[in-house]
Amino acid sequence: MISKPERGLEMTPEASQPMTKFKLPLRLKDKRRRTVYLVMAILVFTTVLTIPTIIPKGVNLAVATSGLLDNLRIMMLQPAPSNTTMESLMVALFQSIALAFLTTLVGAVIAFFIALMAARNLAPTWLINIVQTVMALIRAIPTILWVLIYSVALGLGANAAVIGLTFHSVAYLVKVYADSIDEISGDTLSALRAMGVGFWPLVSQVIFPTIASSLLSWTFIRFEINFANAVAVGAAAGAGGISYQLFMASGFYFDFHEVGMIVYLILAFTIPLEIISYKLRSRYIKRATK
Amino acid sequence: MKNQVMDSSKFFMRKRLNLSIVIGLMIVLYVGASLILNFNSAAFLYVDRGIIWLAKNFVPNSHSIQYWGIILQALLRTLIVSVAATTVAGVLALGLALAGAKTTGPSQTLSWLIRGFASIMRNIPIVGWAMLLLFSFKQNDFTGFLALLFLSIGFLTRAFMETIEAVDVEKIQALEVTGANYLQVISQAVIPEITTPLVSWLLYMIENNLRDATLVGLLTGTGIGFVFDLYFKSLRYGPAGLVVLAIIVLVIGVELVSNQVERRIAI
Amino acid sequence: MLEVKQLTKTYDGGKRSLQDVSFTAQPGEVTVIIGPSGAGKTTLLRSINQLITDDSGQIRFDDQDICALNKRDLKHIRSKIGMIFQNYNLIESLTTIENVLHGGLARKSTIAGVLSLYTKQEKEEALQLIDEVGLKDFAFQYCSDLSGGQKQRVGIARSLMQHPEMILCDEPIASLDPKSTIIVMDILKKLAKKRGMLVLINLHQVDIAKEYADHIIGLNDGHIVFDGPADQASSQDIERIYRDSAFVTS
Repeated sequence: MISKPERGLEMTPEASQPMTKFKLPLRLKDKRRRTVYLVMAILVFTTVLTIPTIIPKGVNLAVATSGLLDNLRIMMLQPAPSNTTMESLMVALFQSIALAFLTTLVGAVIAFFIALMAARNLAPTWLINIVQTVMALIRAIPTILWVLIYSVALGLGANAAVIGLTFHSVAYLVKVYADSIDEISGDTLSALRAMGVGFWPLVSQVIFPTIASSLLSWTFIRFEINFANAVAVGAAAGAGGISYQLFMASGFYFDFHEVGMIVYLILAFTIPLEIISYKLRSRYIKRATK
Repeated sequence: MKNQVMDSSKFFMRKRLNLSIVIGLMIVLYVGASLILNFNSAAFLYVDRGIIWLAKNFVPNSHSIQYWGIILQALLRTLIVSVAATTVAGVLALGLALAGAKTTGPSQTLSWLIRGFASIMRNIPIVGWAMLLLFSFKQNDFTGFLALLFLSIGFLTRAFMETIEAVDVEKIQALEVTGANYLQVISQAVIPEITTPLVSWLLYMIENNLRDATLVGLLTGTGIGFVFDLYFKSLRYGPAGLVVLAIIVLVIGVELVSNQVERRIAI
Repeated sequence: MLEVKQLTKTYDGGKRSLQDVSFTAQPGEVTVIIGPSGAGKTTLLRSINQLITDDSGQIRFDDQDICALNKRDLKHIRSKIGMIFQNYNLIESLTTIENVLHGGLARKSTIAGVLSLYTKQEKEEALQLIDEVGLKDFAFQYCSDLSGGQKQRVGIARSLMQHPEMILCDEPIASLDPKSTIIVMDILKKLAKKRGMLVLINLHQVDIAKEYADHIIGLNDGHIVFDGPADQASSQDIERIYRDSAFVTS
């Protein structure tokens, strides 16, 4: 495109190159800068207008802040179980880990097959559009709502929690898996197709080995998210776990010693998870992750 | 040649063995996790029930229309509170990230301190933050704002730090050797390099906060989450369905806008 | 024998195209298509196994018109055509032997293909081919660890695993250093001479073409401007093939 007008200059690359190099980024940059400034302006404007309206009237902020700091201090510096035993907290932690594991594993298996229908180099456009739209709809409904809906439809308990959380898991993983599959060179796929390799052998011999490592990283990231979700919404579904203990300690007994203990238990699990996930990610996923 | 044929048999055997071990382990863990949770795998057969239930009960009828005003107002509040929490968190996180990144920060110790702080902020569960804040700040939008703010600070600090560390050190050094001071290097070399990912992280965070706002609102009795909870618990499923619809439209709308912005600012 | 008759192809933009291209290529010979980039070499090669569909014309191979085949027959004939690419198109996260075995997947059942259940004969044959292209010590190495020349040789072994009657090579040496170029070209020449295969190669290096080809086809702007034995291609002919190329190429 750009080389067209400069065709006559082809003999003197030293003269033409700086010109194209100089022109292109500036032109792009202008549009980029305008968009960036516009986004920033909207964000700041909204914030400045919003903050005064949310300052509560009946609350003394100084008192509230010092109360918050006191409670934080109790939480972080004097953690102790009081309304329940350490053992039952540990059991609860494992229940939440189990919930996160189940929803990740099931989500990953289902999502892999659906992603094959949502990848540009494998499926026809109409199918991709249908699948991606359905997944976007599922993602748009917050996890907590899925869990509440299933806890009414299936009754309170682990079943509702697993299925409600799996929904979101699948919708998220389909998107990232399909993106990973899209990155496989279409040339390589058509080369193997031309050799007479059928669809399922292509999936197992080409697609899976090529994206296995990024699949692993993404699934691990989802495991982190699912654990956070299990902690957040497990209680709402009546699935028990650390979520229930946390809810009782903070919302029922107002016992911040115990909340602190629970937070430390959660940190003991999530921080190693975060480190592993970071290592996997920096090794296998090049671009910034979401 | 013969040796190699044997090698190849061994190679494929080992590969299959590894795969079998992984699959076996997953099955064992699956069964174990199901037992711990008291989860019945047959429940997957009833996935349709939720959808059917949703389609049957959550259909807004003409009666629900009268709730539009309240729902829209709550939705708007939720949106602007999410935006405000993300923006404030973004400003604070950028400062923390610059001070904590290996390439731009003053010391290793500070870097670890900030990393630890971000990690703790991120990993204190939403429920914990919500209850803690509710206890001191009572039931109002400010509580929801603070809960989202604290979660976002943790997340964005980590994201920004990784982004800054991805900037080529040589680009920073190239400016340093010209005699530019610290602030000049930051504003001329680091910030321009990270603007695009920064904006895209902010937009992602707004999307995420919108989703979390439902839960936070449910717990702290504010915004759209509170409105949903109110209708859901009083079995007014028509308006509850309207709330879900409104959330879907808002989240997808924000997603589309941020996709558009990302396309325009992509390098 | 491969017979191309009045092949015509126009892209949507109408830019690069083939116009009325006709030629024949014989088994046991190395046929090289040369021409400036943008002359339509890749389009020509890819229409032969219908990776690109042409607008009109005939491609006869094995007494069948490839352009007129239904999906199933096309699949069958494609499995008899090996293809070598400039960027190798290997699965880099797998080993040499696995990539070579992919060449035989068309003959296997779906389930055996999915589970990598290869027979002893297949493994023997794959190792034989790996040995033949001089990669005996690299059979169990991951392809991501191989050099460009080695990758291209894996590509050749993989295409031989298909038991092809014809091999199409799309700029096989464009990304290779001089030493690897000679190794790869020697192997391709050997396939024609020893196995009696029909070898069709796209090249843009004239010197390599003259050294290795039995038969040269010169393509310029979608037209055939030279068609004859390699030793008959004079410097005037070469000049004609590359005529105006500085202004025509994009």
